Amino acid sequence: MRISPDQLVLWAWGPVQLNATIVCTWTVMLVLVLGSHLATRRLSTATRLTRWQNLLEVLVSGMREQIREVSQQDPGKYLPFVGTLFLFIAASNVLAVVPGFTAPTASLSTTTALALCVLVAVPLYGIVERGLGGYLAVYVKPTVFMLPFNILGELSRTLALAVRLYGNVMSGTVIAGILLSLVPFFFPVVLQLLGLLTGLIQAYIFAVLAMVYIASATRTHGGH
Amino acid sequence: MTIDWLTVGAQALNFLVLVWLLKRFLYGRVVRAMDRREAAIAERIRAADARMVEAEAEARRHREAREGLEAQRERLLKRAREEADDLRRTLDDEVRGELAEARARWRAELEREQAVFLQDVRRQVATHFETLARRALAELADAELEAQMARVLIERLGRLDPERKDDLARRASGEPLLVRSAFELPVAVRRALTAAIHDAVGKEVAVTYERTDELACGLELRAGGQSLGWSLDGHLDALERRLAEGLARVAGGGRGDAHP
Repeated sequence: MRISPDQLVLWAWGPVQLNATIVCTWTVMLVLVLGSHLATRRLSTATRLTRWQNLLEVLVSGMREQIREVSQQDPGKYLPFVGTLFLFIAASNVLAVVPGFTAPTASLSTTTALALCVLVAVPLYGIVERGLGGYLAVYVKPTVFMLPFNILGELSRTLALAVRLYGNVMSGTVIAGILLSLVPFFFPVVLQLLGLLTGLIQAYIFAVLAMVYIASATRTHGGH
Repeated sequence: MTIDWLTVGAQALNFLVLVWLLKRFLYGRVVRAMDRREAAIAERIRAADARMVEAEAEARRHREAREGLEAQRERLLKRAREEADDLRRTLDDEVRGELAEARARWRAELEREQAVFLQDVRRQVATHFETLARRALAELADAELEAQMARVLIERLGRLDPERKDDLARRASGEPLLVRSAFELPVAVRRALTAAIHDAVGKEVAVTYERTDELACGLELRAGGQSLGWSLDGHLDALERRLAEGLARVAGGGRGDAHP
């Protein structure tokens, strides 16, 4: 049984391999970008909206509100990063119900890549917001002895982010696969539905946690 | 649980590309559209507020204008009422004056008609009395009215005191004595009367006779403004007075009924 979509290599050229993870990621990207482009081609600024525009605005303003609630700051500069994390993970997990499609988030490589992006984004946002000195000072608070623990905490929470998402999505896929071989038809469908819910929740958790980390790095007072 | 670091790098790159693409095609557009709509709504609210302020100012102006018009209307009404009162008073006075004039005219007319009526009554009474007296005397006493009246005048002449006779003589010295009668005196009567006058006043006195309608069934001797005689005038005057009193009583009662 295949645990990770990384193992399904569709095309290889020397050391460069095009596996299912990347192809599915591109599919998700294509769906998101194409859908966004089609839906935002003719946006109305009047008070009458199309249903698609209304849906998009609800989605975007909902994300902005969530970011504002968590960070207590203007959501403008965090929205592209955190919003894309949520949309990408959610779209990947939802598309997992399509036969033949494997969620890229079921690959530890993908979740690691996302967690690494968060790991990089947190200090970037922190430095932009507070300056290099202000950001680095966070690591020696409350005392300089806390420096190794803070660095360790930074790494461990990145690891936790990656493994939590991977574990949840991968387990859903694997359990569905196992059940499908034991009890066909009805029971796996219920589990798939449950997987949809879990996938959305995981997307939300990942995005909110990323936002919490970024907010803790950019906030002047207090930590997480 | 394997990590393909090449895939990790590719996925990180994919994710960053996706961030850029979504920022371009989704967030930027949607947020801009929402901002523009919010700005448009804010602008409309601001315009509505401005219009509201303008409308309130306009309403205030209208209210003030209406109050001004109301006040002006009240003033005009008051003036018109005063003018109407004045006019009514003037008309009342005029009507009262006209009524008083009409009443005076009516009263004058009434009095004139009354006078005419009394005159008429007096004349008819005198005529009838004369006719009656003449007939009664002729039928009952076989006597003529003229002769009887001349006799009475002759008797009175005879009974005149000497001063009065002298006075008559003095008055008759310049002009003839005038004997006036309501009817034509027969010649015999004239002759008798002339003789009686000559006996009383003197033979040199000239006597003339005249018939007049002024006397009501009577006979009068007139000399220099003084007269001696007998006629129904006194009785007729008394009768006329009583009739006038009776008419006044009737008129007064009638007025009383008309104006309680």
